[in-house]
Amino acid sequence: MNQRIIQAYRQAPWRVQLQWIGLFLLILVAGMLIAGVYLYVSGRAAETGARIKALEVEREGLAIRIADMRTQLALLNSSQVMLERAEKLGFRPVEREDLVYLPAAGVSGREVVFLAPPPTSVMRENKLLRPAYTQSLWDLFYQTAYQYLNTRGGQGQ
Amino acid sequence: MNDGAGRMRLIGAVFVLLSAAIVYQMIRIQNSEHSRQLVEMFARTYNQQVRIILPERGNIYDRWGNLLAGNKEVYEVGIAPPQVVNPETVARDLAAVLDVDYYDTLHKAESFRKEGNERYELIKDFVPADKIRQLEQKLAEYENAEKPKKGAPPSLAGVYWKAHLIRSYPENELAANVLGFYNFLDRWNGRGMLGLEEQYNNLLAGNKQQVVLPLNPTEIQEIPEIPPGASLITSLDRDIQAAMERIIDQAVKENGAESGTLVVMDPKTGEILAMATTPHFNPNEYWRYDEIFPVGSYFNRAISQLYEPGSVFKVLTMAAAIDAGAVQPETPFVDVGAIEVGGIWIYNWDRGAWGPQDMVGCMQHSLNVCLAWVAQELGPTQFYKYLQDFGIGRYTGIDLAGEQVYPLSLPGDSNWYPVNLGTNSFGQGVATTPIQMITAIAAMANEGKMMAPHVVKAYIQDGVQYTVNPRVIRQVVKPETARTITEMLAVSLENEASNALVEGYRVAGKTGTAEIPGPGGYTNMTNASFVGWGPVDDPRFIVYVWLEKPTSSPWGSVVAAPVFSQAVEELVVLMKIPPDEVRQQLASP
Repeated sequence: MNQRIIQAYRQAPWRVQLQWIGLFLLILVAGMLIAGVYLYVSGRAAETGARIKALEVEREGLAIRIADMRTQLALLNSSQVMLERAEKLGFRPVEREDLVYLPAAGVSGREVVFLAPPPTSVMRENKLLRPAYTQSLWDLFYQTAYQYLNTRGGQGQ
Repeated sequence: MNDGAGRMRLIGAVFVLLSAAIVYQMIRIQNSEHSRQLVEMFARTYNQQVRIILPERGNIYDRWGNLLAGNKEVYEVGIAPPQVVNPETVARDLAAVLDVDYYDTLHKAESFRKEGNERYELIKDFVPADKIRQLEQKLAEYENAEKPKKGAPPSLAGVYWKAHLIRSYPENELAANVLGFYNFLDRWNGRGMLGLEEQYNNLLAGNKQQVVLPLNPTEIQEIPEIPPGASLITSLDRDIQAAMERIIDQAVKENGAESGTLVVMDPKTGEILAMATTPHFNPNEYWRYDEIFPVGSYFNRAISQLYEPGSVFKVLTMAAAIDAGAVQPETPFVDVGAIEVGGIWIYNWDRGAWGPQDMVGCMQHSLNVCLAWVAQELGPTQFYKYLQDFGIGRYTGIDLAGEQVYPLSLPGDSNWYPVNLGTNSFGQGVATTPIQMITAIAAMANEGKMMAPHVVKAYIQDGVQYTVNPRVIRQVVKPETARTITEMLAVSLENEASNALVEGYRVAGKTGTAEIPGPGGYTNMTNASFVGWGPVDDPRFIVYVWLEKPTSSPWGSVVAAPVFSQAVEELVVLMKIPPDEVRQQLASP
């Protein structure tokens, strides 16, 4: 009797086989999906990395070009060159007798050059790459949790 | 049947054994020492790159932002031998464009084929940008050219160039004696030499860093942003510097002098506006240093060359005596032409007796006898205390490398004799530099306050500009003493109708003529000097002129005073100082 009941509810062998095949295919597809995502992310990361490297090289080159251009500009505006250009244009150096002084209210003398801002208390952010590009998933979780706990602690005070 | 099963088992066992052997071998190779070393070598060589990042050297500007020292783009050109396609083209083009040896370049280009050399070969460094443009043009030509049916196509494959910076001085010789130079041909260990470049080398150079960068693009690592070295904004005024260099060059030439020095300072702040000395030097060609400055000569005489200043020193003696109350401008003195100090007779410059004088007359006629008497009235203790306060025998602390000092002999020292009190009073037997003299005397133009001389007015670090504030060394004489001395020296110039006078501007000043000591005593050669400042009612500049061994005339009043006048003529224009009359009109309501 028991044997009959078991036989009655037992799956047909071809069904069991089919289930196994289905399970295998499911795992295979899932694995391929994961591999595909991984490949895509790796590809994007590699492409971004290569772009960053190229941009860093470009930035370095531009810094050199800027320094060079600044010096070339200074060469074109150097004392001797300017004197020669002025003479060619028919100018001559001004002499004491040529000058006429007129009072001009509100005009102060020539100010010494400021090529950069004076010191302030504001600190600048110098990082070029965002942390998201370099930190691991674990770092992200840890940092987020740390910030969250810190914020909560701060609010509680 | 049994035979078949046995064969199958045998074949199976063989395959199992073979597989086991392969797995064993794989594990053995993976874990061998040689394999570990190989993996490490590959990791080192191909997975990462070690780079030394040199920050851009800081710039040097004049007070208005004109660039005096900057950086220029040049290239390093090299060959990667394994990548060379056509060694002949590489050698021919590099030899033609870079002016390098054809055979040497060919040997390097062929070195992979002939010797298996995989090492990068440097062909030439410090190649100007225009040469690289020529190479780029050739590269483009070869890329667009049709490929030949036989043989290797003309190609510059395997040739690489990389830009880097070298120091450049766009104004060439201008202010070179102040700037110093940077030995840029030593690319990795270069350093600033002399002047500002040496004094502020660490600040200008910044911090170089060695970084290890992964070559695997997925391992993104930010190249640290190395900030450039700090930039300096000097107190120099480019136009004033150029004018002063022109004037001193002309004076040296016209007077047949061995050298000339001209320093302009703002007496109220100690800022150096110009510092011109001869000979000139182009820091862009610093390798010619030995030609221009043979052993025993001075790069910047204004701070390095010690000399007996002569009568300009009388300003300090008279200031000390008036400040201490030993004499007044009206104090009478009868000059008999000689005075005995410490058992030695001292005479006037002309060996004459000038009769009754007051202190203004003593300064006007530059009477050694009178000043020796004044020093005696003051007494050695007071006299030398004032000289030390004026910084004689001490470093001024100017922010330029190479300042020299000669110790002042004091009573009690083995090399001090009583006669020194007399000779020192008129600037003989004492050695100073022009910067010491101008710093000390500038106190007369600044209410008795002696300011620290300096060249750097501000510096820029990490994108922020920091100002260097003027520093008072000390109040060396009372303000009224400073005003009295200024008035005395202005009157003495006017009475004398000096060559130093400038129409429309009241100036104060003093000449100096000092004989130069030789092996057998003093020689006929002199150091001719003049120190002057103005406008008297509101001094904006002090000028120190020194001509070494002039041959046209030995006297400071003849050769140095006109140079001062000429310098002031230009200064009042460049500094936009109206004549006294106009200034007073503008000031009055």
